[in-house]
Amino acid sequence: MTQTFDARRWWLLVTKHWSENKKKYSLSLLAFSGLLLLWWIFIVMDNHRAPAEDIQINAYYVVLFILGCLYASTLFADLGSKTKALNYLTVPASQAEKILCNLFYGVLVFFVCYTAIFYILDFVVVKAGNAMAYNRWLQQHDPRSVFKKETVANVFSGPSGLRDKGFSLYLLLLYFVLQSAFIYGSIYFSKFSFIKTVIALVLVGVFVSVVLAKLISPILPPGNFRDGISSFQVYTVKQASAGQGTMIYSDPATDKMMSIPSWIGQVLIFLLKYAFAPLLWLATFYRLKEKEI
Amino acid sequence: MIDIQNLHFAYRKKPVFTGLSLQLQPGFIYGLLGKNGTGKSTLLRTIAGLLFPDKGTVQVLGFTPGKRQPAFLQQVFMVPEEFYLPDVPLSHLVDHHAPFYPKFSAAQFEKYISEFEIPSGSTLQNMSYGQKKKVLISFALASNAAMLLMDEPTNGLDIMSKSQFRKVMAGALSEEKCIVISTHQVKDLENLIDRITVIDEGRILFDETAERISRKLSFELSFDGEEIQQSLYNESSLRGAAIVTRNTGDEEGKLDLELLYKAIVLNGDAVTAVLKIKPTL
Repeated sequence: MTQTFDARRWWLLVTKHWSENKKKYSLSLLAFSGLLLLWWIFIVMDNHRAPAEDIQINAYYVVLFILGCLYASTLFADLGSKTKALNYLTVPASQAEKILCNLFYGVLVFFVCYTAIFYILDFVVVKAGNAMAYNRWLQQHDPRSVFKKETVANVFSGPSGLRDKGFSLYLLLLYFVLQSAFIYGSIYFSKFSFIKTVIALVLVGVFVSVVLAKLISPILPPGNFRDGISSFQVYTVKQASAGQGTMIYSDPATDKMMSIPSWIGQVLIFLLKYAFAPLLWLATFYRLKEKEI
Repeated sequence: MIDIQNLHFAYRKKPVFTGLSLQLQPGFIYGLLGKNGTGKSTLLRTIAGLLFPDKGTVQVLGFTPGKRQPAFLQQVFMVPEEFYLPDVPLSHLVDHHAPFYPKFSAAQFEKYISEFEIPSGSTLQNMSYGQKKKVLISFALASNAAMLLMDEPTNGLDIMSKSQFRKVMAGALSEEKCIVISTHQVKDLENLIDRITVIDEGRILFDETAERISRKLSFELSFDGEEIQQSLYNESSLRGAAIVTRNTGDEEGKLDLELLYKAIVLNGDAVTAVLKIKPTL
């Protein structure tokens, strides 16, 4: 049996995790379903019709971000308690198996369960909302009008107006990156990991903004990025008449274009889109390896 | 089995070990004694791979504990002073936790559980701290791990359970196993420990087998003023003075761990000197 990863041992870990947490997980899913149902009932009662597709999609992502990050911040909470950490670290499984077991529940199982429950409730609410709206329409309708049913939204197509731009893909990628940051936070911070991770993310955001605004922007010539980040269009700078400073304007004839090879741009974009979450998982793995109690 | 060389360890700036070296062999029950804060629990955690040495090497069964490899963790079981067990029925513990230990014996677990008088169908959620501890000790023994580390195992056990513990432990030792028990409750472990190791200020103050101690030292009550004065250690009691003195006879005396510990701490050099004297032919 390998000391790094063994599928049988990993599966033992998965079943052990389930046997110890099934009560907690079942109750959490039940509570979440109840809250979501209450929210839908409120929306339907208020509007007297089923929620529109955009509302369904917005609700899906807002709740996904909040719940996903909250759950992620509890994923390694056991390591904040000495007794639970000892129990966790001394289980005869490799660090990789332990990380993959937690990611299996925190990333995959959570996402699948959340989406399934959302769709089940959404389906029921849209059907009920349509029935309610139809009855109302029968009583109050203008004979010339046509009853328009709401449909169950495809949350992965993105809200109307942004569907062609792969908006939902970017939202999902952002979600997984953010969730990975909270997973890392749950192992990095022993206590109050959710709040501390939020603060850390805000600080990182402020730092990046300051670096961009105060360090990068001043050294760049006047201009703008084109085609993502692979090209930079340098605007034309012209001396204005005496004593009136310089004029900056865009003129395709005199503007200059600075480009890096397109494959570098593509690799950078790929890394920005897909590498952050796995890198944060890797950081979590190393953090677990160096964990002492 | 355990080879610790020049171990240095500190909690931030507070040094705990500054060059500790120690070897432990299979087939013994080691009693790890020492004052509060001398590093007994830290040593056990270092052996279990839960703390990493700042300097020096720790080898356990040929493994470096800090790597926490599954093959190492399968052979080392730690019963900490404060512990966590999930709120599951005992059967779940056997079904889902035991498969990680290849040498785990369900029959032994049942046997130990019944010796500790724990109802086999019960759930951990409804158990007292002492009962949970007995379950953990039973599981640790049934895992048949080669290395068993116990930190204050009798804390939280009632009087009857302490007797049960001694009985169970005495039957659990084998040639391949090494059991290390760190404790302050020395009375609970008398007649159980084979070798006594005392840690003080991050170093080994004393390390000797119980058999040799019993042969060389005598623990008795005395009313003889001269004998009391010449003893290695004495303390007055209602029935005379309890003393630690040289065993001049041929037979092994009864070991009093509490008196021995006090004698080592207060008059360690003299005690060690007596133990080093070779028998005359």
